[in-house]
Amino acid sequence: MKINRIKGIPWQHLALISLALPVQAEQALFELQIKDHLFHPSVLYVPAGEKIKLLVLNQDPSPEEFESFSLNREKVILGNGKATLFIGPLQPGRYHFFGEYNPDSAQGVLIALPEAQWQQRRADNAN
Amino acid sequence: MRFSPSVLYAACGALMLLVSGHSLADGRVVDKVYHPYVQALERSVEYRYFYQRQADHPDNNTMGQKLGYGFSVAERAALEIYLIADRVSPEDYKLSGYELELRWMLTEQGQYSADWGLLFELERQNNQDNFEFTTGLLMEKEFGPTSLTLNALAVYEWGKTIETEWEGEFRAQYRYRLLPAVQPAIELYVGENYKGAGPSLMGVHKFDKQKQLKWEFAVIMAIDNDTVDRTLRFALEYEF
Repeated sequence: MKINRIKGIPWQHLALISLALPVQAEQALFELQIKDHLFHPSVLYVPAGEKIKLLVLNQDPSPEEFESFSLNREKVILGNGKATLFIGPLQPGRYHFFGEYNPDSAQGVLIALPEAQWQQRRADNAN
Repeated sequence: MRFSPSVLYAACGALMLLVSGHSLADGRVVDKVYHPYVQALERSVEYRYFYQRQADHPDNNTMGQKLGYGFSVAERAALEIYLIADRVSPEDYKLSGYELELRWMLTEQGQYSADWGLLFELERQNNQDNFEFTTGLLMEKEFGPTSLTLNALAVYEWGKTIETEWEGEFRAQYRYRLLPAVQPAIELYVGENYKGAGPSLMGVHKFDKQKQLKWEFAVIMAIDNDTVDRTLRFALEYEF
């Protein structure tokens, strides 16, 4: 293959990309199940301010898509399949999500709690 | 499928070496800014349009249209096939070529500090036996309610009526996710004989279940003297 010349674009533009090379830290794992086109739990509490890993298990034979504009996530989970979503760090607040294949039934909300409330909730659940 | 950071470092480094130098492009530089994501079971039809205007510029009144059909071929890979029609003044509109495109999602969204994908495109120009192969990295990084998307592409052209050459292209989009239907952005394009930037607006409207229409509109203005003054870009994508 003959290459007569190489042309390109300024280094400055590509340098932007190098600022975002992969870095990964350990994340807390949360689980969400889909059964009969419903999310279980339909209200999920997570800590604000840290990235979390959300394992979504689809127990229905048909596919479902986890979708949330406020979380900026969409992910298809095949029938009887599973998928992992990486979410956050989130500001404290409520984040609505739904199943795009069954939006009338598959609805849920993820609630990101500030540090103090999250620790209180963990302590309450431990007792 | 997992990718170690070293693989991505190497790919990024190789691409930077490939496209480093000074830019000059004869293809369409203003086009879609690609996101590095693929959804399993996705299917779509897509229409893209661009129009360039500057009275005393050789690219004045140039129009291009692309009609595509895309579908996922794996959980992280999607193919799209396009028909391309161009009008280069003073000639009339004509079907100018075909294109096959493969998008490959390398990392899960949010898994690392940025999300990564790869793009491969092969275009054949009708009746001229000219070809263009494009490949490159797609990157997106989330900053709260905004997203920065970067495409660094290397283009290899060869054929009977064009000079065999490598070119580099860079596209950037900084988008504010205001509402699903209304997301303002700014876009930047750098390529052969083209350096432009301008505002854009995009959004998505859901119809029923997984049926939705995505739209994009941008007005890109020249930021140097070689570039045609104004380029208008418009795209519609129906997913089902």
